[in-house]
Amino acid sequence: MSKPTQPSPETRVNENMEAIVALERDAQLMLNVREGDDTSFGFLLERHRGPVVHFLYRMVQNQAVSEELAQEVFLRVYRSRETYEPTAKFTTWLFRIATHVALNSIRDRKKEKGHESLDESSDEMLGGLERQVADRQLTIEQEMVRDVKLREVRQAIEALPAKQRAAVLMHKYEGLDYAQIAKVLSCSESAIKSLLFRAYETLRDRLAHMA
Amino acid sequence: MICLSKNEQGAELLAGYLSRTLDAPRMAELGRHIQECADCRGLASVWERLDEFAVPEVSPGFDARLYARIASEDARVSWLSWRRWLWRPIAPLAAAAAVVALVLGFLHVPGTPHSAKQASKVEIEQVAQAVDDLDLLTPIDR
Repeated sequence: MSKPTQPSPETRVNENMEAIVALERDAQLMLNVREGDDTSFGFLLERHRGPVVHFLYRMVQNQAVSEELAQEVFLRVYRSRETYEPTAKFTTWLFRIATHVALNSIRDRKKEKGHESLDESSDEMLGGLERQVADRQLTIEQEMVRDVKLREVRQAIEALPAKQRAAVLMHKYEGLDYAQIAKVLSCSESAIKSLLFRAYETLRDRLAHMA
Repeated sequence: MICLSKNEQGAELLAGYLSRTLDAPRMAELGRHIQECADCRGLASVWERLDEFAVPEVSPGFDARLYARIASEDARVSWLSWRRWLWRPIAPLAAAAAVVALVLGFLHVPGTPHSAKQASKVEIEQVAQAVDDLDLLTPIDR
């Protein structure tokens, strides 16, 4: 199995510089929105639409619901433009809103219907997703193996407690560091490290047969 | 020897290894250990297993739907501001009348303890929700 190569120190410095520039750019864009520049809101939407929708999709595992929740996230960002102050990383703040919205949705859905409808709709969605991401070059057998793997990973993540799920998704897929995840979930960094370790242990046990 | 499950810093080491942010000697040491330890190998392989979780593309109409909602909200806010401006001259009179009505109502109509308790509960929930929203929308410290 091939592994990604270790980035050189120069590459890391460049990546860090790019991250700092991006951080300042987001904050500046949001300040522009506060001044009434709607084009800047468009840039922010363009930059963060994908990560927010994908995070929410992995949280609730339903495309329609995840897009509805993402709309709510960006609406909240827009509504709070007049009081925005760049005292935190924009992405931390954005994912704090997204996580809050996702956890509320999961809680409300559990209260209303249990898992029934979510499971049905997510299974239905999964079929569409599998077709959407399918590589035409794969054989039917390869596609079936990949579909089974996707389903197992999806179920293993869904079975995690909601807070662990959010932490793993932000850590693994969205590239947030411990400090950011800690702020999003209102925990200490050490609590996040321990929470992530427990989550990865659980996932290891559930996905052991895939190794 | 580093064993993730027997190390107080296990979580940090695992995450550092998985995200390839440990320094080179630590990466090499942990890499060698992972080759020998099945538990740690299992933990490290989780990272690759999670790559299987693909996501669909965002719907093409996403932005249009969002901008429509923003426009509708802006229109509502604008109408509310306009209405507030129209009502501003008579607001003190209306407030005074409301206070008088409340006082009279309080003096002449005895309220039931049950309804008072219910109203109080609703108020507390509304305040809690408002504080929650305010906290969420307030940018946090770095």
